[in-house]
Amino acid sequence: MAISETTRTGLREIADRYPSARSALLPMLHLVQSEENEITVEGINVCAEVLGITPAEVTAVASFYTMYKRRPVGKHHIGICTNTLCGLLGGDAVWDALSAELGVGPNEPTPDGEFFLERIECQAACTHAPVMTVDWEFMDDVTPRGACEVIEKLRRGETVRSTRGPVIRDFDATEHTLAFPLDGLADAPSVDSKMLAGLTIAKQRGMKAP
Amino acid sequence: MTITTNDSQVAVPSDTVTVIIDGVAVAVPKGTLVIRAAELLGIEIPRFCDHPLLDPVAACRACLIEVEGMPKPQPACAQTVSDGMVIRTQQSSEMARLAQEGVMEFLLLNHPLDCPVCDKGGECPLQNQAMSVGRPESRFTEDKRTFPKPINVSAQILLDRERCVSCARCTRFAEQIAGDPMLELLERGAQQQVGTAEDQPFDSYFSGNTIQICPVGALTSAAYRFRSRPFDLVSVPTTCEHCASGCSLRTDYRREVVTRRLAWDSPEVNEEWNCDKGRFAFVYQTEGRIEYPLIRENGELRVASWPEAIDVAARGLAEASSHAVLVGGRSTVEDAYAYARFARAALRTDDIDFRARALSDEEHAFLASLVAGSPVSVSYEKLESAPIVLLVSFEPEDESPIVFLRLRKAARAGTRVVSVGAVRSKGSEKVAAEMVWCAPGDEAAALASLPADILAALAHSGAVIMVGERAALSAGALSAVAALADRTGAALAWVPRRAGERGALDAGAIAGLLPGGRPLSDAQARAEVSELWGVDSLPHPGASGDALLARLGTVEAAVVGGVELADYPQDVRAALERVGFIVSLENHHSAVTELASVVLPVAVVTEKAGTFLDWEGRPRPFTRVLRDALTMPDAQVLGMIADAMDRPVGPSDVNVLRAELGTLGPWRGARLEAPRVPVGPRRDGLVLASWRQLLDSGVLQEGEPHLAATARPTVVMVSDATARRLGLTETATLHGPAGIVTLPVEIADVAESVVWVPMNSPGCHIYRDLGARPGDIIRVTAGGAL
Ligand code: SF4
Ligand code: SF4
Ligand code: FES
Ligand code: FES
Repeated sequence: MAISETTRTGLREIADRYPSARSALLPMLHLVQSEENEITVEGINVCAEVLGITPAEVTAVASFYTMYKRRPVGKHHIGICTNTLCGLLGGDAVWDALSAELGVGPNEPTPDGEFFLERIECQAACTHAPVMTVDWEFMDDVTPRGACEVIEKLRRGETVRSTRGPVIRDFDATEHTLAFPLDGLADAPSVDSKMLAGLTIAKQRGMKAP
Repeated sequence: MTITTNDSQVAVPSDTVTVIIDGVAVAVPKGTLVIRAAELLGIEIPRFCDHPLLDPVAACRACLIEVEGMPKPQPACAQTVSDGMVIRTQQSSEMARLAQEGVMEFLLLNHPLDCPVCDKGGECPLQNQAMSVGRPESRFTEDKRTFPKPINVSAQILLDRERCVSCARCTRFAEQIAGDPMLELLERGAQQQVGTAEDQPFDSYFSGNTIQICPVGALTSAAYRFRSRPFDLVSVPTTCEHCASGCSLRTDYRREVVTRRLAWDSPEVNEEWNCDKGRFAFVYQTEGRIEYPLIRENGELRVASWPEAIDVAARGLAEASSHAVLVGGRSTVEDAYAYARFARAALRTDDIDFRARALSDEEHAFLASLVAGSPVSVSYEKLESAPIVLLVSFEPEDESPIVFLRLRKAARAGTRVVSVGAVRSKGSEKVAAEMVWCAPGDEAAALASLPADILAALAHSGAVIMVGERAALSAGALSAVAALADRTGAALAWVPRRAGERGALDAGAIAGLLPGGRPLSDAQARAEVSELWGVDSLPHPGASGDALLARLGTVEAAVVGGVELADYPQDVRAALERVGFIVSLENHHSAVTELASVVLPVAVVTEKAGTFLDWEGRPRPFTRVLRDALTMPDAQVLGMIADAMDRPVGPSDVNVLRAELGTLGPWRGARLEAPRVPVGPRRDGLVLASWRQLLDSGVLQEGEPHLAATARPTVVMVSDATARRLGLTETATLHGPAGIVTLPVEIADVAESVVWVPMNSPGCHIYRDLGARPGDIIRVTAGGAL
């Protein structure tokens, strides 16, 4: 696949959003991923050209952050948090179940290109541990069985919603949103009472940070 | 800097602060890094990422020290001093000692046990500091992280990733010093590694410096890898022979063979850097050398003994009634002086020139009036502090790379660089040069109508104008440069490409000029020189430049030293073919030795002592590296010929030659007039622009394929608009009187109606292949097969 004229225009548009063009690189790389399904050499070169920096400088950034993939992701990106809290509360079991269900290990796509499995780090969603992400949308308090059901539904092409509301689209679509976050798709803030429990107690007891 | 002790009453200037390191007080300028302050006291704090010429990053944490009042150990390489600061290093602080030991243990966890096969072993900061501040034994029993060994970051530079300590010296060098951020730290965590973009290697002209500053053996060169151990090498400080930048080098050899060259410290010239040509191009010194004197018999060269060859040379020269002397631009000052003396005193001719390249009479006048024998006026240091540097017909990155590095340093600190030329080159971009656009040939006109703000800036104290040797190709350019310097008061520097040109000029290896810039037409100057040389008279001013080349066809004998005929834009071979008797002093076979009656092999730089004058006019003396070599320098061979001709010219020992030049000193009398060549007519059509790239088909670069593979590709550069107008897309064909050249097209920042090609690169040698010079009108068509 080659980077389209639309994407190139988008890349330039993002670059113009920032006072220092270089700051635009992160969203630009997301836009590359939304079209290419991964960070390609061409994508790196186009970003370098737009920003007037070298491909090596772009590669340094693209290889530092794990959200940028250097192999095709396929249709859906499935992340399972296996950091301490999620891991202990069932994340490891979710991982085992999904890995068996999909027949792939970490950072591997399924042969049909439908799913890409990744062990992810703490998503700051420990309140709802264990969490799983589908195309970076949250599935809170997930169980091995519930996780497999999500996969089943996606396979059947049924509509799947994040436990926090949004409809799951696909990896490329999410990447586009990450490049252009003001695309009107954002829902109301998805904060629930569980997430605010600590704060509520602190307020009740008049606690303050030292 | 002043060093005080606790009880002394030494006055401390107000911009200094006093700190106490390991109980000893030292006064240092504000803003000094702790690691530098400690060095002043002779306290060595371990370090990997720290480098005095790179911005601090505190990446390796090897230099942790204790600062009173700070809870955690601080990196000495990034911590600046403040007044009264109390610092304890590993010498007096258990905290610092343990911190350093811990970091060292950490750095060694994944480090391979490569020492016995690693190039750096024996000169390795990691080995040394692991011994001085590390734990005696490792507690690490797990598997080490490994990487496939080694990867190419360029054709020349190899990387063993598991040896890397992620200090970022190489990447910071690439970005900050060279301006080539094509080498970066990639990945993260335990996988962090140095690397390049997938499809863009680290082809920097300065890439070899990263090997030298890498504090471990992670970066090595294809040329030197596994060739030698440092402790088996003999090291000699030398001077680079490749260009007029004048780098100090260290030449390392083993068993009379040079194994590598390094940049050597010379703060006033190359700081601690050099270019890859200077570092890697030395194979020519050993390969393909002419070993024995040769004389021509029945049309064929045959080996002869030295006495026989000298005899034949002397007889041939003595019998001829007219002579010419061509000296290549690579001679040492002493050898060039020997040619100058031999021509006037033994051959009694003034028909001599060192300029084996495109030249002009205007240039001769320029050099005679403004350059020859003059002391250093523009120095590297002066570039660094200049408010503005105006470049005319000069591409520092290709034509004098250390000038480029210093200009880049200056530009980063605010110096305004303006380039008068037709191409905003990669080098121009890296010094943020503003362009005064003009096609080659139109420089004089462009200089006559410089924007007012540039003119005003040039009038500021410290302003500098640098003009390259290519200005000789542009009628009126050097006159305009001289007039501009005169009018604005800006200091003027002429920057030749070759290492020997400035020295040869000052040594008098050019018609009309005696050593020290003495005009041959001046009675006083003649008297001084003839007295020193012990001759009754000196010849009348002879022919240089084009007149000399024209006269070649009529002289009976010629002495030619180190000249490549392909370097002249015109067909000098045809003229030389008509010379009855040619004596060639050479170390490799060439177009000249093909025509010579006598070929006398001479020493290369490693086999003799000598001096190069860099573009500043600064002497860069060097000693002989290979003591056992049997070759003789040009001066000695010329001395033998003179003796055999019975016209002795005096001793040829390098020290005597130096002393003679010293005795004469620079000329203080009246100089020849500066040139006043008017602005040439404007021409219509497509104009050819060209210069020699640093890495090209130059004969001294032969035999080093890895270096050659890092050269820039041979392309034709045109602006987008010109390309459209001519319909150029993939390839373009240039049509010159001598032939055609087809090259890939690169759209670049080039003046309208100008096409640029490299002057002497594989696939494009403009003199030979096109028969065209920069400034010529050229026909270009679209397409053509590569
Ligand atoms: S880099 Fe230094 S310590 Fe490491 S293997 Fe090489 S010589 Fe040994
Ligand atoms: S390769 Fe050498 S210079 Fe570069 S980061 Fe690694 S250790 Fe430092
Ligand atoms: S540990 Fe999984 S979200 Fe924090
Ligand atoms: S030398 Fe100080 S952190 Fe590397």
